[in-house]
Amino acid sequence: MRKPFVTACLVAVWLSIVSGIAFALPPVQRTVLDNGLVLLVSEEHSLPFVTMYLMVKTGSKDDPAGREGLADLTAASLLFGAAGRTLQQINEEIDFMGARLNSAAGKDYTAVTLRALTKDLDRSVSIFMDAVMKPTFPENEIKKEISRTLGAIQSSEDQPGYVAERAFQKALYLDGPYGHPAEGTKESVGKLTPRMVKQFHQDYYHPNNSILVVVGDVSQQELSRSIVKRLEMWPRKAIPESKALFSAAQKKQVIKVGKPVTQSNIIIGNRGMSRDNPDYYAATVMNHIFGGGGLTSRLMQEIRNKRGLAYSAASFFEARKYGGSFQIHLQTKLPSTDEAIKVAMEDLVRIRTELVSPEELEDAKKYLVGNFPQKLSTQSRIASFFGQVEYFGLGLDYPARYPSLINSISREDIRRVAQTYLQPDASITVIVTRLKEAEDEKVK
Amino acid sequence: MTIKIGAPTIISIMLSRIGVVLSKSSLIVCLATALALGVVSSVFGALSEQVSEVVLPNGLKIILLENRKAPLITFQVWYRVGSRNEEWGKTGLSHLLEHMMFKGTEKIGPGEFSRIVEQNGGDENAFTSYDFTAYFENMSSDRVQIPIRLESDRMQGLLLREEDFKTEKSVVMEERRLRTDDNPKAVLQEQLQATAFQVQPYHWPIIGWMQDIARLTVDDLRKYYKVYYNPVNAFIVVVGDFKKEAILPMIEQTFGPIPKGVAPDQHKDTEMPQLGERRIVVRKEAQLASIVKSYYVPNLKSPDSYVLEVIAALLATGETSRLNSNLVREKQLALSVDADNELTSRDPNLFSVAADILPGKTVGQVEKALLEEIKRLQKELVGQRELEKAKNQIEAGFTFGQDSLFYQGMLLAMYEIASSWKDIDKFVPIIRAVTAEDVRRVANKYLVESNCTTAILEPIPSAEPKPVQPGSPSRERTIVR
Repeated sequence: MRKPFVTACLVAVWLSIVSGIAFALPPVQRTVLDNGLVLLVSEEHSLPFVTMYLMVKTGSKDDPAGREGLADLTAASLLFGAAGRTLQQINEEIDFMGARLNSAAGKDYTAVTLRALTKDLDRSVSIFMDAVMKPTFPENEIKKEISRTLGAIQSSEDQPGYVAERAFQKALYLDGPYGHPAEGTKESVGKLTPRMVKQFHQDYYHPNNSILVVVGDVSQQELSRSIVKRLEMWPRKAIPESKALFSAAQKKQVIKVGKPVTQSNIIIGNRGMSRDNPDYYAATVMNHIFGGGGLTSRLMQEIRNKRGLAYSAASFFEARKYGGSFQIHLQTKLPSTDEAIKVAMEDLVRIRTELVSPEELEDAKKYLVGNFPQKLSTQSRIASFFGQVEYFGLGLDYPARYPSLINSISREDIRRVAQTYLQPDASITVIVTRLKEAEDEKVK
Repeated sequence: MTIKIGAPTIISIMLSRIGVVLSKSSLIVCLATALALGVVSSVFGALSEQVSEVVLPNGLKIILLENRKAPLITFQVWYRVGSRNEEWGKTGLSHLLEHMMFKGTEKIGPGEFSRIVEQNGGDENAFTSYDFTAYFENMSSDRVQIPIRLESDRMQGLLLREEDFKTEKSVVMEERRLRTDDNPKAVLQEQLQATAFQVQPYHWPIIGWMQDIARLTVDDLRKYYKVYYNPVNAFIVVVGDFKKEAILPMIEQTFGPIPKGVAPDQHKDTEMPQLGERRIVVRKEAQLASIVKSYYVPNLKSPDSYVLEVIAALLATGETSRLNSNLVREKQLALSVDADNELTSRDPNLFSVAADILPGKTVGQVEKALLEEIKRLQKELVGQRELEKAKNQIEAGFTFGQDSLFYQGMLLAMYEIASSWKDIDKFVPIIRAVTAEDVRRVANKYLVESNCTTAILEPIPSAEPKPVQPGSPSRERTIVR
């Protein structure tokens, strides 16, 4: 094999002076291998371990209809046997080194992560890569995983927050690629087979469909000897084209789900935006003021601090590759359900009609810009940060550009994005609550 | 190994805002990194040497660890007060006071504290446990004067206004519904503790019983604040990119003038010898049955506690651990299993094994399998390679935990609460010295029926109509902010 063509883009230590806060960011080196794999490396030698984060650009969005959960089952099955090692041998080696190897599919992408001590790097990387490139997918282990997943899905019914989130996602994304949970449903998971898993792996697990981020105590020498050499053996292959249509509901509706709870678990939301939307930054600042900013946000002020209606009331934009949502989450005792929803709705109307105060805007900017270095404070944060920068095409100069992206937002921008992306008239409200009692109350 | 349902989500990240109760389950998360204070020579040898300690004339201890990896610091103030310091009928006092610490002083208006921290790009929060209440700010290192000023002000300057108190009480009651009342396994854990502890204050939950929270008055808080929020009953931990010579004068100037106060009596009686197994059943609407078996054990003051750390790893750390490979993978009896030891608990605590039972399997089958594993530990000597594996996992886990400034600070503090931060040095050597005979001896000494409390969650069918077909949770954070 030829030497990899290195599109070296060495971003050394950025030093940006932003609103008086100076911070140094970790260095990162980006390389594109011949087979199309994007390799991002960030060296840091203060601790003797390495984190590897592989993103394969497939997730539950690629689950065929009726086979919901396939991407996640495939991700789990990678670790059940590979290149001559059985499940037991893989686990035994990983555990003996005290290493951690995990894999799971999300909606947009699948992540396989490895964390290992530097002294065990070579051995653990070999297992990690065999799992991704040469999994054996033993039938009996996959079948066991299927029944475990069914148990986990059943168990999740005890978590009102998950129940609400699932109902919201289904109502918003309908039968589209984002509409079902990554782990699948109790109807679909039982229908999955080892053969489907093999096919899914053959379709999507290719270097030209992947990003690998390596962070921590790894030297250039070790990288080329132990890691790049192995990565080069991974052959490029065509990825199936997706014809999926990403749509979202735009009709106002209220969905109630009955559960034996003492609190109503509420989600109010609507169609949002994809991560590449230019309004993303204005929406980030707006959301910080509205419900993103901890104790100081408007939702927390109104619902928690003034009225004591909830422990937590928060909002966020779920900005995915091909679409997204805006959501408000809160939980309140059954009798105050209507009041809490009313207060949240009033706040939605207010931020759509009135300009935020100059102080609110200033505070939000100071926080978002000043807090940025915290996103890069640990190996796993650095790994997922650079992985996402690559996946969403933000460019390696993103950290340097971030302050100006945020600081350029005006009060008018905030109102405009609030009017565009917060839609009380097309909102989906999910309430997981004790329906029987609510009915009994009405009868009285 | 796949991260299954139950992995952290956007939702759970948001919930962890202000006033977190470190319940048993969340404490386990912290301890998982903490568990293994000992370390591979390169990191560990250095750690204790890098730490320095200063005690101000008013009794306030300051623990400093310089770490220049990133231009960040974590500033933490730990008070030696938690639910163990409460009384029957007034449970939940420590946690409610923690919430009120964000409600303002004479100098800082209500809500102002969080605003100032956020304006400076910082994150702040607090948490309460059985043995401590801790407050922290994670900031850029050039802003370290901000938390120093704010924390010194609220050590004694809290206003505790009646109107704020009323609202915050409702917030805490909502928190209790969220964390405990609507979570069958949290209820099971609460009931287990109330059964296992008859004398020690670990009997009641950190967040308090609902009727106690309702009964607390602002006057109760004032008295409690006066007794426990003193320099002599607190310590500061700072970890990150700072210079000791620069930071100490700032701390002395602000915290130094606070009057010393009287060191509160921290003695608590421990349990009477148990006369036989205790067993309880919690019947509640839930999907799966669960079982927890807990054994009363010493903390790190006894060398046996370190052996229990190794036993916990043998049982449930990693896919090849005994409970995982036998109960989850082989026999397919459990959805998940757990084993944990409370090494840094201030008073003797519980060593627990737990399992969530898969549909179609019975509590009896699972309990029998759990007991077989315990019997195996008592009869057979664990093999050298398996023992080595458990120790490797403990050490690697500790090294990985060092990645976060916040956890480094938390580890030092938890050791300081239980004994002294200096005891961190002993961890690796003691863990490494544990022998197969130690494992068998300790299993025979503590993991016995007469020292056990068993709690079973027995699901009853819900009276609620069948749920609508669920949609999907979002399990990844796709947002780069």
